[in-house]
Amino acid sequence: MIEVKNVTKLFDGKPAISDISMQFREGQTNLIIGRSGSGKTVLLKCILGLHEADRGEILYDGRSFTRMRQKDRKEIRKEVGMVFQGGALFDSLTVEQNVRFPLDMFTLMGAREKAARVDFCLDHVNLTGAHRLFPSEISGGMQKRVAIARAIALNPRYLFCDEPNSGLDPETATLIDDLIQMLTREFGMTTIINTHDMNSVIQIGESILFIHKGEKCWEGTRHNILTSGNEVLDDFIFANKLYAQMRKEKNGSH
Amino acid sequence: MNYFFHIGRYFWMLGKVFARPEKHKMYIRQLFREIEGLGINSVGIVVIISLFTGGIMTIQFAYNLMNPIFPTYLIGLGTRDVLILEFSSTILALILAGKIGSNITSEIGSMKVTEQIDSLEIMGVNSISYLILPKIVAVVFVFPFLVVLSIFFGLVGGLIVGPFVGVVSLTEYIDGIRYLFVPYYVTFSLIKSLFFGFLVSSVPAYFGYFVQGGALEVGKASTRAVVNTNILILLFDLILTRLLLT
Repeated sequence: MIEVKNVTKLFDGKPAISDISMQFREGQTNLIIGRSGSGKTVLLKCILGLHEADRGEILYDGRSFTRMRQKDRKEIRKEVGMVFQGGALFDSLTVEQNVRFPLDMFTLMGAREKAARVDFCLDHVNLTGAHRLFPSEISGGMQKRVAIARAIALNPRYLFCDEPNSGLDPETATLIDDLIQMLTREFGMTTIINTHDMNSVIQIGESILFIHKGEKCWEGTRHNILTSGNEVLDDFIFANKLYAQMRKEKNGSH
Repeated sequence: MNYFFHIGRYFWMLGKVFARPEKHKMYIRQLFREIEGLGINSVGIVVIISLFTGGIMTIQFAYNLMNPIFPTYLIGLGTRDVLILEFSSTILALILAGKIGSNITSEIGSMKVTEQIDSLEIMGVNSISYLILPKIVAVVFVFPFLVVLSIFFGLVGGLIVGPFVGVVSLTEYIDGIRYLFVPYYVTFSLIKSLFFGFLVSSVPAYFGYFVQGGALEVGKASTRAVVNTNILILLFDLILTRLLLT
């Protein structure tokens, strides 16, 4: 479990996120949602330690990340897998080398063991036969899957995804969402996904944090998000005409 | 003020560069890749530039030594000393700052803007050390070899062009390059090459690592890196010449 307690981050004295608290539980997909510029990426980067929180505390299974020395943080980072918005695969390495990179860097595995682990990870993301291709030779959806395979290579306890299905067609986006949820359950990871894609919210939002203008605005699940009664959240959700239509039809039927 | 900020951050970066590597094997693998990419792949341009420059220098020395009181073998001597003292270390470093320097800035800068560096950091890898240390070691290691290669091919350029255009005979040119040879000049040139190799790799790496924005900023950072590296090369050339040749 990852716990965020009263976290505030300032840029030039102005708060990008303010006093946010939330518990992200293991074995479920935790979503951070909000409009562009609402502060969800800042929160994610604070949790990852890419930004230092100015106030508050972040705990990884009770271990205070904010108070840790850099050396100890490095140890936690070995338990973290991250899927970036653009994939962030290493251009100069093949798909196989990308997935093997964390194994080369942090394990004492032999070549055969590493090859078996790479195959295992690539099989789990339904990507076989692409071992020798470079990132520039595969599609965006495949790049995301390679990024997921690399993220799970070291069997992480925590998985972070920053807009994992942005720029993908709806079908591939759904596949990526399903894949993340399946892996989260299978490996019992604490998964945090940063998104503003409503399809993902409805499909895999087992726990949802809605941020508005840098502040926590609502917390719930996919089952009660459409009936929250929170005006700001409703404005965000029903900006999508499809969902607005659904609500209209639902209200009309009652 | 801004200038002091960059100097401070550059030295902070160097502190991180020389931190203990996570896994030596990975760094060594990366080192060989960089020696090939930055060093071996520069051999062609070094040979071509040195051949032409040696030839041009020979013609220019001949033009300036037309007076019969100057013996013709001075053309070889002049070409040799200019190549050793200045061209093959300093001018070559300025040229390679363009080739190797912009390559380093754009490679690291692209990794930065596409979040590949964040990805390394989140994995727990010291990205500064992993990306920059092998480049610095590779370039510092390869630079003296490129300087020796440049001196050799510069002299060969003069050897081909001088007799071909008829400004000096082959025998006189060879006599000239053997006349009053000071081995310390080569040592001086190699010492300079070590400093220049360090500048050509570390300064562009700095500009690449701290780039912010997108592809446009990476391009601008490459230009800034080459300009600043060139200025620093000339500054260090002045300092080293003063310190080592007086």
